[in-house]
Amino acid sequence: MSNINIDSQKTNTYDVIVIGSGISGGWAAKEFTEKGFKTLVLERGRDVQHIKDYPTTNKYPYEFDHRGQIPLAIQKENPIASRCYVFREDAMHFVVKDNEHPYQQEKPFDWIRGYQVGGKSLLWARQTQRWSDLDFEGPARDGFAVDWPIRYKDIAPWYSYAERFAGIAGNKDGLQELPDGEFLPGFPLNAVEDYFKGVVSKKYPTRHVISARCAHLSKPNQIHLDQGRAKCQNRTLCQRGCPFGGYFSSNASTLPWAAKTGNLTLRPNSVVDSIIYDDEKEKATGVRVIDANTKQEMEFYAKIIFVNAAALNTNLILLNSKSNRFPNGLGNDNGQLGKFVAFHNYSARINAEYDGMLEWSTDGRNPAGGGYLPRFRNLLKQETDFKRGYAAGFSARRSVNRDSSGVGASLKDNLAKAPLGPWQVGSHMMGETIPKEENFVNLSKDKKDAWGVPLLNISVDYDENDRLMKKDYIEQLSEMFTEAGFKNIKVNDSSQAPGLDIHEMGGARMGHDPKTSILNKWNQVHACKNVFVTDGACMTSTSTQNPSLTYMALTARAVDFAVKSINKFEI
Amino acid sequence: MALLPSCLRDSGKSSIALTNIDVSLDQEHLLGDISETIIPETKTPGAKSLNLHLFTLKMLDDCYEKEDQKLFFEGLDELQDRSEAKFSRSFQKLTVPEREQLLVGIEKEEQAPAAIKKFYDIMKSKTIEGYMSSKYVMTNLIVWELVPGRWNPYYPVKSA
Repeated sequence: MSNINIDSQKTNTYDVIVIGSGISGGWAAKEFTEKGFKTLVLERGRDVQHIKDYPTTNKYPYEFDHRGQIPLAIQKENPIASRCYVFREDAMHFVVKDNEHPYQQEKPFDWIRGYQVGGKSLLWARQTQRWSDLDFEGPARDGFAVDWPIRYKDIAPWYSYAERFAGIAGNKDGLQELPDGEFLPGFPLNAVEDYFKGVVSKKYPTRHVISARCAHLSKPNQIHLDQGRAKCQNRTLCQRGCPFGGYFSSNASTLPWAAKTGNLTLRPNSVVDSIIYDDEKEKATGVRVIDANTKQEMEFYAKIIFVNAAALNTNLILLNSKSNRFPNGLGNDNGQLGKFVAFHNYSARINAEYDGMLEWSTDGRNPAGGGYLPRFRNLLKQETDFKRGYAAGFSARRSVNRDSSGVGASLKDNLAKAPLGPWQVGSHMMGETIPKEENFVNLSKDKKDAWGVPLLNISVDYDENDRLMKKDYIEQLSEMFTEAGFKNIKVNDSSQAPGLDIHEMGGARMGHDPKTSILNKWNQVHACKNVFVTDGACMTSTSTQNPSLTYMALTARAVDFAVKSINKFEI
Repeated sequence: MALLPSCLRDSGKSSIALTNIDVSLDQEHLLGDISETIIPETKTPGAKSLNLHLFTLKMLDDCYEKEDQKLFFEGLDELQDRSEAKFSRSFQKLTVPEREQLLVGIEKEEQAPAAIKKFYDIMKSKTIEGYMSSKYVMTNLIVWELVPGRWNPYYPVKSA
């Protein structure tokens, strides 16, 4: 860029630039601004302010033209977004439309994105579990990917730190495979979830059904009230944005917290083209941005850059950050950037009925969603014909058997009654997938988006390990359901493409060795020490836990390291 | 629900703005009578006063394939034909028991022709959906709570 003069350098200079305002970018902003650093957060999408910009949050079902359903014309224009469960009339404005932001699929991949301030933190399923050493030691033990450069002891205090601020509801279950955290009261299981828990623990001593742990304020502490958030009101309308701040999002929590310090500059509508690398200074000096509306190019400068654009977009930005020093993308000396992408296999569900415990139903709503069954396969040693394993959700709800036959006054009477039927129970699979070089993203050679940035090309697929693992999930859960006396067991072995799990990870993985990884143990680019990546792109392996809590903890930990390094003049 | 009256349209057209389907005012009134047969006014409001036929038209317009929309109106014509064949009068001229008999006949007919079956399925399911999610039902009969503020995992009920 030759059109940059000294003045613009002054006004566009910050201590830190954070690219992305989602769950990890929000954390980076909070940590840096609290420590006194002037921080610029760049968000490619529009601004979404807490409460003010939640247009549907207090609507009743009859206030939606189509009672929540997406009109056919919109579905046909957006086949990818339409496959996502939150793409409904009440939250569709928070989901990227297919044709506005195209990408290339070498193999089917449903890339679900949230381009707005807060990103997907507005929409996430809010499930939060810690990793244990059984996860961090996975690649080394089982011989895939590379060894994680950290262990549980390195991240444990940061899990605690993130949990205390975000507010995580859960029980201390005392499980080696799912370490306990700093919990607010958990949301208790219902009668049949408890019953299933009992059956499972009796028949399978190493399998545990627990209350799902989630980022909801079941009983807020002062730190949560200080954020302007209140107790979760069990609305379970979270995807609309919560007027109580009952669940954790960047919008309700980290961003307003960062703004209060006076050190935050939030710039929405800022599409990042690339990171600027200075060959003489041998470090990154700033970020090239295109204004989403005016398409004007500009540059911003900082001592430290955190890349939190969401896993695949972080890969795109790094790959597009080309310089003499890094002709193949920032930090990509080993040619591995964009490779070893993995995800969670969500492609199987099991549903059934139970006609016991009929003296119970439920009242109100459970924001945690029900029960969680942590990974039990290959936990302490290899014992199956596939690597690693899966976690599973489990939930039960009492059905209502309305008689809707016939017409007229009798039908009307019948509709007003709600005779309870059997319990409906269901489980879904969350399988670990193995990162492989063949699962990658790279830049389109010839196609660019409306802002001149190359389109992302995605080539990610299931493999034989995924198929064997899914078969085992179906067998094991069917057996456990049968053991519990559940009837009409129905397996839904879907062909959903990778991506719809919205847990894509990797591409810029952490590792000990710069020859085989992009980031070191502090999420710092091996070859460019003032750039950090703390979103899903950093993940060396995926394990089975919902990943967001780990991104929060890694981000807070990396900021702490970066600040200490600055103070020691190391970066 | 935003059902905008289309005052400027010619008087023979449906009272709401529709994009994909062409509905006459007569057809709209007929659909009103059919929906009222499904959910009649009793001590509580029925389909017509809750505008369930207009909700059905809105859903038909926006959420169904062209082929289904075509079958719907063919089925509506067939219903009139059946009314004439069976009672020598149009549906609007039938008594309530006669209207009910005609509709239940379609529901019970195992091999109903495609058009009238499609018409009946859409008409009945959308009338019920509109009714159950109407403001009247959701605030008076089966109350839907915006802010429950509680989770009781063990709620005692009479076993079936």
